[in-house]
Amino acid sequence: MTTNTPTPDSFPVDEAWKPLPRTHWSEEEAAHFLRRTGFSATPDAVKKVLRGSIQDAIDDSFSAKSEFKKSENILKFEAESQQRRRKIYRETKDPNEKRRLQRELRREDGENFNAFAMQWFDFARQPENSVREKFVLFLEDVFVVERPTVKETPVLFDLQQILRQGIELKYPDLCKQVSREPAMVRYLNLNENTAKKPNENFARELFELFTLGEGNYSEDDIKEAARAFTGYRVKNRHDFYREERQFDKGRKTIFGETGNWDGDDVIDITFKQPAARTYLIREFIKFYVSDTPPHEAFIEALGEQWAAHNFELRYLVDTIFQSRYFFHPAHRGNCVKSPIQFYLGLCQDLNLDIVPFESRLLRSMRAMGQSFYDPPNVRGWLYGQHWINSTTISARRQLVDYIFTPINEKRLNGNEKRALKKANAAGRGNFVVTDERLQQVLGKSPEDLAKHFTTYFITAPLRENYLGILKSLLGDTKQSQSTDRVRDALIALFQSPAYNLC
Amino acid sequence: MNQLPLTRREFIRGAGGLGFLAFSGFAPSFLTQSALAQSPAPERDRSILVLIQLAGGNDGLNTVVPFADDRYYNLRPTLGIKKGLLNINDQLGLHPACQELYQLFDQGELSVIQNVGYPNPNRSHFRSTEIWETGSDGDTYNHSGWLGRYFDNTCSGKPDEKDPDGVHIGDIIPQTYLSDQPHSIFGMKERGRFDRGDDSSDQAYERLLKSDHNEGSASYLQHTMMNTLVTERRVEKHIANYKPKAEYPGSTLGNSLRRIAALIHANMETRVYFVSQGGYDTHANQIERHAELLGDLSQSMRAFQNDLKAHHKDDQVLTMTFSEFGRRPAENGSSGTDHGTAAPLFVMGSKVNGGILGNAPDLGVGPKEDLAYSTDFRGIYSSILDKWLDADSAKILGEKFDHVPFI
Repeated sequence: MTTNTPTPDSFPVDEAWKPLPRTHWSEEEAAHFLRRTGFSATPDAVKKVLRGSIQDAIDDSFSAKSEFKKSENILKFEAESQQRRRKIYRETKDPNEKRRLQRELRREDGENFNAFAMQWFDFARQPENSVREKFVLFLEDVFVVERPTVKETPVLFDLQQILRQGIELKYPDLCKQVSREPAMVRYLNLNENTAKKPNENFARELFELFTLGEGNYSEDDIKEAARAFTGYRVKNRHDFYREERQFDKGRKTIFGETGNWDGDDVIDITFKQPAARTYLIREFIKFYVSDTPPHEAFIEALGEQWAAHNFELRYLVDTIFQSRYFFHPAHRGNCVKSPIQFYLGLCQDLNLDIVPFESRLLRSMRAMGQSFYDPPNVRGWLYGQHWINSTTISARRQLVDYIFTPINEKRLNGNEKRALKKANAAGRGNFVVTDERLQQVLGKSPEDLAKHFTTYFITAPLRENYLGILKSLLGDTKQSQSTDRVRDALIALFQSPAYNLC
Repeated sequence: MNQLPLTRREFIRGAGGLGFLAFSGFAPSFLTQSALAQSPAPERDRSILVLIQLAGGNDGLNTVVPFADDRYYNLRPTLGIKKGLLNINDQLGLHPACQELYQLFDQGELSVIQNVGYPNPNRSHFRSTEIWETGSDGDTYNHSGWLGRYFDNTCSGKPDEKDPDGVHIGDIIPQTYLSDQPHSIFGMKERGRFDRGDDSSDQAYERLLKSDHNEGSASYLQHTMMNTLVTERRVEKHIANYKPKAEYPGSTLGNSLRRIAALIHANMETRVYFVSQGGYDTHANQIERHAELLGDLSQSMRAFQNDLKAHHKDDQVLTMTFSEFGRRPAENGSSGTDHGTAAPLFVMGSKVNGGILGNAPDLGVGPKEDLAYSTDFRGIYSSILDKWLDADSAKILGEKFDHVPFI
């Protein structure tokens, strides 16, 4: 970057959120847009979005293309689990039998959960779903729940579905919906919140992590808000209802407003606080644009506009993803890919199907630091440079090695053999990069090939000598062993810092 | 085979490296700085903490057995241990499988801290583990681990030319290490090689890694990746060259502790190690399983301590066990025990005071009731932080807790 490039903060405040001029919408900008809103920027995708405006690209990629459906197994589990639990807890007397039935139920839920994870990876990997699913990841990092606490797969699925539909909502309405989701009710102990013994966990996180941020509420606000959220209950582990007898009908004073408030009232009052205009924007920018937040004046200006648009989430999406601020050169290639983006991006860049072996994939995600629906704590994942340490780097490198190693069917276990058969039957078979595929590029000169790979896979700008080293790694592509060299060079490219950024 | 660089400085100066610094006209600032800076003399006498997690909830009452209390046998008609107890006073005996720990206790190298827990106990594995690892209590939530905050308070936020701040066994970072700033954390396998030797794709990776990268995140990544590469090689070398002077059990825990001993012997600057032994969730048929686990723990810990002694490192190392909770005093109907609350823990080292600390639990509880803790686990943490790691416990734990006099 040259010194006369302004830093993102050197815009006048009223310029920052204006749309990028149409004349600036070209290949690099399109690639930036695609990698930040989704998981990758293949040349075809770049070409496609450049046929229209940025707004067209947003409209297209944020609209739902196909439905993410609850599997038959989860539906069946949901329908039967109440009866099965009754049998365990009321009818079974023998403790060993009781334990066996409980284990059975847990095992099935575990299987359903893994299948849910695999279904999601498959779904999000399809480029037409990627942008919406990445937004779901963003919201999941705001409305955090952890699988080990929530346990029940059906309600995790439901919460995710609410977040997926939330893209079309006003943010306060989404907060209200989430407060009624069994997964959240259970995770933040709302079901233990009673008039006699209030539990403040949900009220605290509502203010701290969903709407206002630390320092923008008092302990009294939390205490009073907890009273308003009394009586939220879950029946049969899956169905939300309000228990009127548990509701604290007294007057509560929250942010200076006194009345017989219920939970929804609290959320409405919360969004009258100035901090509610800016909190989510900061989270949004951290997730999508930059580890370093912009000057407060920028955030406040956007917050005012957002409030004037009734906190529509789509307003934020439309404004930020077209803005000069978002497209500023300082924000290119400077964001550490999350493990999910790293993996799904690899699949899209290399046109690979999701590895069908669930324990291998889920284990790898875990080792890279992003276990499906299992963030470390209520704050969620911290993103950015926090993804990176020696443990997670080794895991990323192993993943790359894996997708360049042929699958040895003799070494698969029974489950894996079945999974492979099933995937093949469903028309999926591209799980790793084979030698045949590498050989297709061998006709090119090392210069062209190095250029081809970097434009294809790496965010510009790239330093000159990266290209030079890549070229020498590829060597003479006509000689023997050139397939091995191309493979080694590609593995190194995908493991290098440049590919881990977007 | 190339001479593999073992420090980042060698890495940078190695083939092509120096040229890169001299001629590229651009080098990320950390590279130039670290290549020019004097390396500080390694601190050879620094104190080291090794944490052993007993995952699943260790049955405290059958680990340190209150054999003189009839109520113990009333609560545990089938699980109560009568024979082979290793008496540490006229009230308490260690589980018969803890022969080695008993010897260490006898030599004054093992402290037993009784009835450790926290207010408003939680019986979920997950939540209670989080409480222990983050140093909170039943009602509050910390987002970082207690040792992560120790790193935040004492180590620079940026990785630099040094060994990892924390090492753990396995490929998942323990919550204990979660921090607000990124730190250098290294995950080590308990078996097998974990550098990748000298394969061709590794060489390609190394060459590409040495190319210029942009400032900001790219520089950070490059930096951490180089550190990882050299740490992997260094650690591999330390482990390959290590000659243990004690016989470790072949278990995961034994192997892990042997590797930790190798790194300590090699004078790595790392001050904190974390290893986990799983399987303590003994809801059913607990007798044999629990004896196996404690036997493995006991043998592994003594081998570790003897090995450290033979290498004259024992004065530097403190080893502590912890578990998310103890188990219900009354046994259940399947010859097992359910999730409970407070439990004893062990602290081992040549510098510990030895003996039995803290008050014994009151066994006057009903069949569904749990023990009331008498020593807050954060008192133990604060002793370690203030007196062993030379840190400020109040800053790290958020408040002052009474020290427990094991050191």
